[in-house]
Amino acid sequence: MQRKMKESDPILEVQNLFASTDNLPILKGVSLTVNPGEIHAIMGRNGCGKSTLSKIIAGHPSYSITSGDIKFSGENINSLEPEERAQSGIFLGFQYPIEIPGVSNLEFLRVSTNARRKFLNKEELDTFDFEELVKEKLELVKMDHAFLSRSVNQGFSGGEKKRNEILQMALLEPKIAILDETDSGLDIDALRIVASGIKKISNAQTGIILITHYQRLLDEIEPNYVHVMADGQIIKTGGSDLALELEKKGYEWTDNFVKET
Amino acid sequence: MEIIEQIKTNKLFENQTEIQKICIDKLQSNPLPNPKSELWRLSNKSKFSNLLDYSINEKDPKFDIPFLNNTQNIIRLVIGEDNKIFLKGENYSIRQLSKNILDEYIKQKISSFDQNEHWSDLLNLSLSCEKNILGLKINGSKIPPIEIFSHASSNSLTAKTLVIFVEKNCDIELLQVNLCEENSSLSQSTFLCLEENSSIFHGVVSYGENKSHLLNSLNVIQQKNSEYKLGSLHFKLDYARFEIRVKQSAGNAKTNIKGMQITKNDEQISTHTKIDFNGPNGFLDQINKSLADDKSHAIFEGSIIVPKIAQKTDASQLSRNLLLSNRAQIDTKPQLEIIADDVKCKHGATISQLNEEELFYMRTRGITLTEASKLQLSSYFQEIISFIPVSKDRWDLLDKLLHEN
Repeated sequence: MQRKMKESDPILEVQNLFASTDNLPILKGVSLTVNPGEIHAIMGRNGCGKSTLSKIIAGHPSYSITSGDIKFSGENINSLEPEERAQSGIFLGFQYPIEIPGVSNLEFLRVSTNARRKFLNKEELDTFDFEELVKEKLELVKMDHAFLSRSVNQGFSGGEKKRNEILQMALLEPKIAILDETDSGLDIDALRIVASGIKKISNAQTGIILITHYQRLLDEIEPNYVHVMADGQIIKTGGSDLALELEKKGYEWTDNFVKET
Repeated sequence: MEIIEQIKTNKLFENQTEIQKICIDKLQSNPLPNPKSELWRLSNKSKFSNLLDYSINEKDPKFDIPFLNNTQNIIRLVIGEDNKIFLKGENYSIRQLSKNILDEYIKQKISSFDQNEHWSDLLNLSLSCEKNILGLKINGSKIPPIEIFSHASSNSLTAKTLVIFVEKNCDIELLQVNLCEENSSLSQSTFLCLEENSSIFHGVVSYGENKSHLLNSLNVIQQKNSEYKLGSLHFKLDYARFEIRVKQSAGNAKTNIKGMQITKNDEQISTHTKIDFNGPNGFLDQINKSLADDKSHAIFEGSIIVPKIAQKTDASQLSRNLLLSNRAQIDTKPQLEIIADDVKCKHGATISQLNEEELFYMRTRGITLTEASKLQLSSYFQEIISFIPVSKDRWDLLDKLLHEN
């Protein structure tokens, strides 16, 4: 699905997306376009569909798209497997990164990086070359080399898990990164490290979607657009001011919106 | 069941040894285990019958060990081929037990055999000819790792017996490899005796080719202050039964067991363990893992016996099982029999499938479903595999075998 993209082409287009799990509708017509260089924030109450949207974009097998399209670099990816989406440049940073006992973090990162490099027609890295690359990326998130020899996320603190997610993002060099509540469970210092890592990785060719409840992440990374979700829909879109407004007003008004519709 | 007919009519061998006579005599009136007994009720009758459907191969052909011995510092023995063993190093000696001592020891063991519980040993000792019984006495220190191979050739039933006495203050690392060729059955009985302050780090790896069968019985006696560590792996066997009996004869001993069985197609592999604490301050840490795919059947049945004399026993037994197919079957039954009142004993069992969220996480990093499943399975294996005393070069081969499987 690699296609020559024009610089102005959207990276991601979600078009009137309806999705459900176990016949329960979760997304009820979401539309969203992310262009290169843009940072979008999605905010909303718990259970409004933010995380589900991120999982559906990443291809979680438990959800099915009932109508609408997800286009990545202009191609419809509705039927692609999660690994195909990841290899082509979609990255999902998990709210609760999964622990995988017995699988070394270093090997996991190397296999993932090589899967992406293979897609990009780049040479796959052996253990020695990969160690060099990962050493450089560890600096970005101020992680100790010792994390590499441990099992994936096992025994990591909340902050360490989130930094490990950003390390993966740095290694995979995605075209779009969807970061699901990356700020949750982080203290101020860890939040700054994570935010600085995200800023260093993003550039004019990449897109970022930040899913968050709070303004504090957006103080570190200013979004171009802020979307408010309620009941499986984006009910309002604005600039970074909208996030500040939400901080003051809370989400109660979104409940009224849901009742009215 | 050709063998059973021969036992019934006493036509197994023309020149029977004394041990064979005693065992055949014990089996004649009741040649099969009771299929209703707890130890045998889940055993697949048709596969069990296939195991016994070969004739004894008295002319065991020369066996070529499929692993290269890359290291000088390993003692390698093949049961049935190595006679008159006497190995002496600077600080140790490994001698073959004399026939008299070996016969006396085995006769004493047989006298306490229960028909159902020790049926596999009774069959083994009925069939094992003199050259297929290897008895060793080991003493000293800085003993090189020992590897002992048992092998069944095609279209036959082969019985091999191993007896090892580990003398006081002696530590050994022992890897037992049981290999079954296509259409074959192997009966392996092992008797280990750990004297005071001795230790064995024991690995048992058993696998076979198409339509291979294994009856593997392991009997361990631990004297005071001894330590027994066992890591075992059974796979690629149409029917296999691994029986482990450990007796801490006077308590004050440590036992660690980590075992794994992998079943595919319509294979059945079972592990039956009985840990008997016969004195105070005994310790056990046991985990058994099963991994069942396709239409296969994995069984774990474990019991821990803690009589009144075994105060302050600390025992834990865990059975973890992974079902890879909705047609596969897993039966697990960890049990405790506790009479003593001042003990710490726990047991548990879990049966699960591959973790969907772990798989999705790996897939979102570009790892294919097949690769992600392999990574997850190898992490499941690792706890057990790393507990088997195998040198690095051999481990690569084991890793390859597991991946092929």
